[in-house]
Amino acid sequence: MDNLGFLFAANAFVWGGIIYYVYTLKQRNRALEKDLELLKETLSKEG
Amino acid sequence: MNLFLSQISAIVWKDFVTELKTRELLSAMFIFALLVILIFIFSVNLSVVKANEVGPGILWVAFLFSGTIGLNRSFMLEKENGCLMGLILVPADRTAIYFGKLISNFVFLSIMELFILPLFMIFFNIDLLAHLLPLLLVIFLGTLGFCALGTLLSSLASNLKTREIMLPILLYPLLVPIVIGVVRMTGQVLAGEPLSEMMNWIGLTASFDIIYIGVSIMTIDHILEE
Amino acid sequence: MSSDEIEENEEEGNILVWLTGLVFLAAMIAIFIYVPTEKTEGVVQRIMYFHIPCAWLSFFAFFVVFICSILFLWKKDREWDIYSHASAEIGVIFCSLVLITGPIWAKPIWGAWWVWDARLTSTLILWLIYVSYLMLRAQSDAGSMRARYAAVLGIVGFLDIPLIHFSVLWWRAFHPQPKVITSEGIGKGMDPTMLATLGISLCAFTLLYFLLMGVRVRQEKLKDEIDRLKREKIYSS
Repeated sequence: MDNLGFLFAANAFVWGGIIYYVYTLKQRNRALEKDLELLKETLSKEG
Repeated sequence: MNLFLSQISAIVWKDFVTELKTRELLSAMFIFALLVILIFIFSVNLSVVKANEVGPGILWVAFLFSGTIGLNRSFMLEKENGCLMGLILVPADRTAIYFGKLISNFVFLSIMELFILPLFMIFFNIDLLAHLLPLLLVIFLGTLGFCALGTLLSSLASNLKTREIMLPILLYPLLVPIVIGVVRMTGQVLAGEPLSEMMNWIGLTASFDIIYIGVSIMTIDHILEE
Repeated sequence: MSSDEIEENEEEGNILVWLTGLVFLAAMIAIFIYVPTEKTEGVVQRIMYFHIPCAWLSFFAFFVVFICSILFLWKKDREWDIYSHASAEIGVIFCSLVLITGPIWAKPIWGAWWVWDARLTSTLILWLIYVSYLMLRAQSDAGSMRARYAAVLGIVGFLDIPLIHFSVLWWRAFHPQPKVITSEGIGKGMDPTMLATLGISLCAFTLLYFLLMGVRVRQEKLKDEIDRLKREKIYSS
């Protein structure tokens, strides 16, 4: 039985999916942080 | 209770008068259903497959597609002229609005189905008259379930920007159990099996109807809220 | 949120990260080294230790959506809306993974990528329902309308699951049953080491769910806060 390829593919997809999701979370976090910085800047300029 | 019933009948009556005046919806639904059936006949080679096997599926696809047109219209019409706001502002129970719309959708779709059935009989050369009563029961259960869930979701989709696209996307995956059920039952009825042979399917479709009418009663207040 | 609270949250988050990582490491060791290879299916059978936990996680996530949707309609608290949104997103991700690993497992065992097996079919329909749920959320603007509509769909969608299950099961019953060695045999006929490995893997994925939920919920709350500040800014100037 030489089906190691299938096992590898399934494993890779699961990890790839999880890592991809974490990556999108990170990116969204970064966008939010940028937004926050911008907000802080404008607020401090005014005040 | 009496007040509730008169509120429902007022909404149904309003829809019927509009339809009688414009005659837009029923004719469109009928022609669309006919077109769906024709397209399927062209795409399936009837000399290879038995009409009895593909017929029920094609019939129900036609019903569902043209029923979606009716659903799309039922709340859109209200939305376009700001009538939905008026309906919500009327001191009527929101549940009455739901039931009014459910009944008018159900009746329109049933009338259209009654026109399609004879044509289906001719096109596919299937004798429906022999099993008419069980067939009507199956169609009743299926149409009721479709309208129960469809009315709820179309009231929801009518407020979205992309309502025509979103209604089928939301509705069709949820309809899977009832579609499988009615297509199976229609096939079995046309094959001459008695209704007692398919009690599990009848139970499934009936519980679909009951569950979704119940859920709609409980949640419609949250949808028709401005 | 005060800075103390944030710190505390972060600390808890860190513990959860380490715990999840550790259990995942243990699960990997168990899956690839500890557990013996199954006789009939060979090495491919190890896919099960990913496949079933993913399925469990997505189902659990959709159940959380259902509960939070009910709570939202009852309490009308934005908190529950955030929870159901985050949970639906995670559920869809893992449901997709189930749909990907399923065919990869099926190909060498059943000889076809896709078999209209009852469980796989139900999962596909479930995936469609919750993708449409996320589309509904993306289509409508933030606010009470989106939250209410999504909650209604979250309830309607979950109630459909038993109906889908039975209809697909009976639908298949009219066709030849594929010769399958599916998860039917959980508990019976399963080696205790296999059961243990599956258990560890289930634990790892469940922890991962809570970890992702925490991150996603915090993000959404931060977004709310930023939106609120922006609005304040606009109205004050």
